[in-house]
Amino acid sequence: MTAVQTHMDPAVRESTVAVERRRGGLGAALRFEVRKLRAQYRGWAVLAGAVLAPIPIVVIINGQSRPPKDTLFGRFATDNGFALTLLILGFATQWVLPLLTAIVAGDIFASEDQHGTWKTVLTRSTSRAQIFWAKTLTACGFAVLVLTLLAASTIASSLLIVGHQPLTGLSGQTIGAGTALQLVTASWATTLAPTLGFTCLAIVLSVWFRNPAVGIATPVVLGMVMVLIGGLGGIEIIRPLLLTTSFEAWHGLFTQPRFTGPLVEGLLVSAAWSVLSLGAAFAIVRRRDITGG
Amino acid sequence: MRRTILIVLAALIAVIGLASVVTATTGGSSSVTRARLEKSLPVVFANTYVNQANLVGRNVTAASLHAKAMCDKHGPDVADIGPGGDWNCLMSWTDPQVPMPPEGYGKFELNVHSNDCFTASGPSKLTGFLTITDKHGKPVTNPLFEFDGCFDPHSDNAATGVYFPSLFAITSPNVTPTAQGRTTVKVNCGTGSQGCAGTVTATAGRVNLGTMPYKLKEEATGTLQLPKPVPAGAKEVTFEVKPSTGAGPTSPATIPVQPR
Repeated sequence: MTAVQTHMDPAVRESTVAVERRRGGLGAALRFEVRKLRAQYRGWAVLAGAVLAPIPIVVIINGQSRPPKDTLFGRFATDNGFALTLLILGFATQWVLPLLTAIVAGDIFASEDQHGTWKTVLTRSTSRAQIFWAKTLTACGFAVLVLTLLAASTIASSLLIVGHQPLTGLSGQTIGAGTALQLVTASWATTLAPTLGFTCLAIVLSVWFRNPAVGIATPVVLGMVMVLIGGLGGIEIIRPLLLTTSFEAWHGLFTQPRFTGPLVEGLLVSAAWSVLSLGAAFAIVRRRDITGG
Repeated sequence: MRRTILIVLAALIAVIGLASVVTATTGGSSSVTRARLEKSLPVVFANTYVNQANLVGRNVTAASLHAKAMCDKHGPDVADIGPGGDWNCLMSWTDPQVPMPPEGYGKFELNVHSNDCFTASGPSKLTGFLTITDKHGKPVTNPLFEFDGCFDPHSDNAATGVYFPSLFAITSPNVTPTAQGRTTVKVNCGTGSQGCAGTVTATAGRVNLGTMPYKLKEEATGTLQLPKPVPAGAKEVTFEVKPSTGAGPTSPATIPVQPR
């Protein structure tokens, strides 16, 4: 079969593959979802915001006469670029990252409801499962992209505007600029898992409530509620199970010796939230009756 | 569809409940504990101390400080576990240029967060004020005035065995005899272990006003009544403290008499 195919004319092979996968395939659905996303003004606005917003924020914090000491690394933020990126990271994880990912993920299913296009989409030659995964992958891909852009822009602008002096770590130790850059980059990277957790949370809410406003706002509100619960004393037993706790797991990278227990826990917790959310969302999409509208 | 959602929600609640039970039975509801703070604070302190020393042009190593801490949350009747702004840590360290006070430690106030990070503010007498002058003569922020640290929530939770005595002090700014000739002074017992006990002997000039025993819990205040009335015309009363438990002022405290 393969041997035959390799000798075939490319055009013929294309058509053969198309005939073989008569239902269009995940790739086609994915390409279509990405195309839809690219055509939307909203996605571009979020990406542009992720690139441009850190610059004025860095300039403004750098211009403060007194550093914002009540946040971790805040006390060094006005004279150390690494500390400033970590300050912004701490702030971003409060609600910015859930919001940025939810703007696309909370809308990607619900917009079909809003425009009444489920019937059109589901009568195309792709299965519900393929459409579900295409939308999920698109939302996750967007989350990765927006996080990468935000991290790169924040790190670059902080280092260029404030500088790359050695950083004082969370054990009071001095961290050289080279190591600090690696650790700061790693810290931003560790927020990917909980960010994807929020993406999946936004997807299930988007699927469940069929309303883009709910899909976008609710993950942000839930995130803030989780931050609040996580900050309370007395009920700390549920703290490790909160999605927002993983957002703080990077603290362990800046102590001496480093600790990675919370990072591993955070990865597992984020995975659990993602799997449960996607499972629920998939079940809802699978059983959904679209004949009504 | 609703049924699925309910099942998922029930599963989530079950997972959370199960995890809660597991955590509760394996002990300790909070990762913020006395032992972890007592191990973490001296490390952060020593490194920050070295930073401060470098700023002012001194050469100190973290190991040479031998910093030790004893921490306590919110007085003797509250369990020393959990986040809060009411942690106090007593810390001793060795620096020939900064001798410890007679009680042998300085008191740090800690605000510990549930995310296992804390902000500590040091005793200004020992660690300096917000701004210090660096070796080039420029004013810089004193890193020891206030500093942040984090500890591993899974780190060893065995007790450190570091204890410091509570410091007993007479806090009344003056002595005021009442119409009946009764005279009282306010005293307190600071953070530390096992509270304060001992005797206080009061004298006015050459007149012995008697000896008063005291026994206070740590982080408590009390009132002592002088056994004999303060003689008329006495300008001041001197109190000599002999602690049997805890530390006290090493030299007698002289307090002026406030005429009624």
